[in-house]
Amino acid sequence: LPLNTTQTRNAILVSHRQKGNPLLKHIRNVKWVFSDIIPDYVLGQSSCALYLSLRYHLLHPDYLYFRIRELQKNFKLSVVLCHVDVEDTVKPLLEVTKTALLHDCTLLCAWSMTECARYLETIKVYENKPADLIQGQMDTDYLSRLNHSLTSIRHVNKSDVVTLGSTFGSLAHIIDASMEDLARCPGIGERKVKRLYDTFHEPFKRAT
Amino acid sequence: MALKFHQQIISDLLEDSNGGLVILSSGLSLAKLIASLLILHSPSQGTLLLLLSPAAQSLKSRIIHYISSLDSPTPTEITADLPANQRYSLYTSGSPFFITPRILIVDLLTQRIPVSSLAGIFILNAHSLSETSTEAFIVRIVKSLNGSAYIRAFSDRPQAMVSGFAKTERTMRALFLRRLHLWPRFQLDVSQELEREPPEVVDIRVSMSNYMVGIQKAIIEVMDACLKEMKKTNKVDVDDLTVESGLFKSFDEIVRRQLDPIWHTLGKRTKQLVSDLKTLRKLLDYLVRYDAVSFLKFLDTLRVSESYRSVWLFAESSYKIFDFAKKRVYRLVKASDVKSKELVKNKSGKKRKSKGENDSVEAVGGETETNVVTGVVIEEVLEEAPKWKVLREILEETQEERQNQTLSEEESSDNNGIVLVACKDERSCMQLEDCITNNPQKVMREEWEMYLLSKIELRSVQTPQKKKQKTPKGFGILDGVVPVTTIQNSEGSSVGRQEHEALMAAASSIRKLEKTIDMASGNNNPEPHVDKASCTKGKAKKDSPSLRRSIRSCNKKTANSKAEIIKDPENEERASEASTSAPREANAVHSSGARKLPPVHFYALESDQPILDILKPSVIIVYHPDMGFVREIEVYKAENPLKKLKVYFLFYDESTEVQKFEASIRRENGAFESLIRQKSSMMIPVDQDGLCMGSNSSTEFPASSTQNSITRKAGGRKEMEKETQVIVDMREFMSSLPNVLHQKGMKIIPVTLEVGDYILSPSICVERKSIQDLFQSFTSGRLFHQVEMMSRYYRIPVLLIEFSQDKSFSFQSASDISDDVTPYNIISKLSLLVLHFPRLRILWSRSLHATAEIFTTLKSNQDEPDETRAVRVGVPSEEGIIENDIRAENYNTSAVEFLRRLPGVSDANYRTIMEKCKSLAELASLPVETLAELMGGHKVAKSLREFLDAKYPTLL
Repeated sequence: LPLNTTQTRNAILVSHRQKGNPLLKHIRNVKWVFSDIIPDYVLGQSSCALYLSLRYHLLHPDYLYFRIRELQKNFKLSVVLCHVDVEDTVKPLLEVTKTALLHDCTLLCAWSMTECARYLETIKVYENKPADLIQGQMDTDYLSRLNHSLTSIRHVNKSDVVTLGSTFGSLAHIIDASMEDLARCPGIGERKVKRLYDTFHEPFKRAT
Repeated sequence: MALKFHQQIISDLLEDSNGGLVILSSGLSLAKLIASLLILHSPSQGTLLLLLSPAAQSLKSRIIHYISSLDSPTPTEITADLPANQRYSLYTSGSPFFITPRILIVDLLTQRIPVSSLAGIFILNAHSLSETSTEAFIVRIVKSLNGSAYIRAFSDRPQAMVSGFAKTERTMRALFLRRLHLWPRFQLDVSQELEREPPEVVDIRVSMSNYMVGIQKAIIEVMDACLKEMKKTNKVDVDDLTVESGLFKSFDEIVRRQLDPIWHTLGKRTKQLVSDLKTLRKLLDYLVRYDAVSFLKFLDTLRVSESYRSVWLFAESSYKIFDFAKKRVYRLVKASDVKSKELVKNKSGKKRKSKGENDSVEAVGGETETNVVTGVVIEEVLEEAPKWKVLREILEETQEERQNQTLSEEESSDNNGIVLVACKDERSCMQLEDCITNNPQKVMREEWEMYLLSKIELRSVQTPQKKKQKTPKGFGILDGVVPVTTIQNSEGSSVGRQEHEALMAAASSIRKLEKTIDMASGNNNPEPHVDKASCTKGKAKKDSPSLRRSIRSCNKKTANSKAEIIKDPENEERASEASTSAPREANAVHSSGARKLPPVHFYALESDQPILDILKPSVIIVYHPDMGFVREIEVYKAENPLKKLKVYFLFYDESTEVQKFEASIRRENGAFESLIRQKSSMMIPVDQDGLCMGSNSSTEFPASSTQNSITRKAGGRKEMEKETQVIVDMREFMSSLPNVLHQKGMKIIPVTLEVGDYILSPSICVERKSIQDLFQSFTSGRLFHQVEMMSRYYRIPVLLIEFSQDKSFSFQSASDISDDVTPYNIISKLSLLVLHFPRLRILWSRSLHATAEIFTTLKSNQDEPDETRAVRVGVPSEEGIIENDIRAENYNTSAVEFLRRLPGVSDANYRTIMEKCKSLAELASLPVETLAELMGGHKVAKSLREFLDAKYPTLL
């Protein structure tokens, strides 16, 4: 496999089988080159993808199985990229899901060629990216963080956060507020008052 | 005592041993009806379970109130912390109990309930049911094991029963009911009974002030503009989009019903429009509900929190909203004009300009300088809510009448003379009470001072260095609108700055004033706030939040002490009774002014108490009109036909308040008419008695009908297949999937899982995410954590992405896919997840039913899951979780979730924090050093402490 040449390291390798697939036109953010590979796409040192259109699957139900078998276990991540291009999806999707799951492939669904191409691009681009993005690092500005925490309490919405914030001045003061103080805020009804108060004052662990 | 039509409903219900669905108008005392039914229940019939959705707490307390008022034993609630054997004995005791659907379904599935000893089930919220809801699941199991148990379902929200296609009929099918009982307010028996001795009604139309009219008009214009924008998106049916319909909450439903199927594919702008319309409706409501200063304050905060995202803020008319709202509170005057204006003011006597205050400003210097530079001074307007005056007049009139009556000695003995004032919320209650006890100007003044103080407080925190960049943003809309003098500054926002500085000057003068009074209490200042200032003596110098509170509590105290003095023993008894049920104590209030007022009780409609029966008022003033409450009054009057009752309605003339009230009645009637039509053409199969149930639910889902049956009952058909089982996390019983899996013939084993939602086999663990959940839990990082845990403990970790049947099957709109790889797109997040967890399998399911199908397929060649093992997975051993514990009941989950979202708190340290610290309140009070110990690091502790103490940014 020509994986190590510098020219191809930063490109998606595309199997010759994929020649003529309109998907290729949509790969714009990453270079791609045809190559002699077993999977349809090689997206990095250890990831590859098979492309499957549901319509094609309906005509050739065994195709996916044989393709997956060819892969053997040469890649850490094998993606089945499924293009949902039929109306009645339940049955074919069930079959594809089953095949992918039982043969250790990760199924990704996309509803357009652009979306299909974007998955391929992203997996390639993010090949070595740490997971920070999905580990809960959200907007770090004060308001977003305050919203994020206060709205975790059921029934409390963003405008309540505004009301609470402007009434009490800081989160510590909000937490410290008495039921009566909370009830004095416009728009904070009895239910919310109780929820807020209980969240702040009931112990984390209930007595057992 | 009991109403005739209630008796009629009861006898209708008892006619059919199978049960029935009762829908009655709101306010017709559903709680009393259920209480009467409960009293008829005898233990020999078996145990009666009342299903209680978490939202029905007030209904529960009302039912208990009525039952206890009839000296019958009240039903208790079966909760999850009762041990299993105790629960069993309760279930067999033959008494009625409240229970939540979640607990009941779990007990049913774990066979902790002797179903044969059940008399029946009451469902108290029929309107929130669907075929797949837990209630339907419960009924199906109960009916399969005990065909003779009755199901009685109730709803007093007819509107909710007609949303969606044939909702009532489908609900009835799901509950195996044949009988539908409709009891609208216009039903002959009802209207005859309620109108036989109608209360004396006085309808008072209060005209709004000019500014209020202006604001209302402007808001409606902005709404109109937003609606036009919305039409442009071509996503919503145009016919429903009228400003008129936009006034009601139901508008959200209309829009949501249309947009829900495609919601996650909508662009940001459309979503923003929907939320803008909500904000605007809220503004309309607040306009008539709250005082001028509170309204302005709310606008201020809105402007800060929404400024750059909102569409409505930039609509043409919205500047008018802000402008008028401000003019109701204060205006800007050239400093040189002040004197002449003051003269005018003094003559007219209406609008006040505190002279003493002005003097003090000039005397103190410092702040005065800005005044000189800008040449602008704040002049207070402080418009009072027009209803306040009217309320007072009514009270005075009532008292006068009463005195005349006592003179002519006509007063009947049952008349305790309490006047009940009903408003929407607690805050209005407190404020009105203040208005009546003290005087309205003073109330406005206090609001105003608090407004100013909050500004000054914020300024002292947010130092001027930031101000310069900030100001232009916030004030953009107001530019050029405020009519002020020459602009000397080169800065474009100088108008805003001048205004801002004038506000600051006014604010600081209030502070100074308080100090001066503090020092020389002999000050001959004639202003009404003198006594307030002396109240706050000593505290005024300290930080402002405590000052604010002390002002409040001071007032509260005076009000209370006055109330105590005049309370006569009879009232006191009633009032104390009320205070046990109402969160706020009843305050019989006497005017401190010249004219006497009758004892008044303020009641917040939202607290939803059986207030009329507790207080037995003879005069009711409906300050904020509400349809349900009007009906309650009618019922109350019908039950006490001999009592004299006078009802005043206060409406703002030509306001949205009136429109809303009238439309709510129209809507309810319309709902009933449609229900009556539906009833006449309803197709309820004859075998709807629980014998042939397997097939009737299958009509909805033809695909699954062949396999559809009840596991335990329909033996013969199932025997050839082995009974497959799925272990389901307790928390998943909020969703409908367990129900559908059960319908498909799987055995559901409910346990508490630390890892995963569904365990299909020893190696397959599934985390289920609806689309909305998926986006959220990606953002919060929860999903990453969950997948990490699943991968750690299971060979095949599975993420199930479940789309909703009635929504479009796609991930995002084509427009959301940008031209390049962007980190915040869902594709990027999913790709990243897949890259980091190559073993993770993803299931894409079109609907609940498709999920059930996928589960069946996946299980076909797998071993059955092991319950005891599944429960232990991922549970730290030192925590000692007992098998049947429901975590949700052992933890304050809301607090835990909140904690985990705080900066510095991580998966690594949150357990330690919870162990060493009792509650969030305690946590928030700890100094950095202690926090550092708890959290295992000084840096994280500092970030948490700073977050807690950070000042909330407000407009400056």
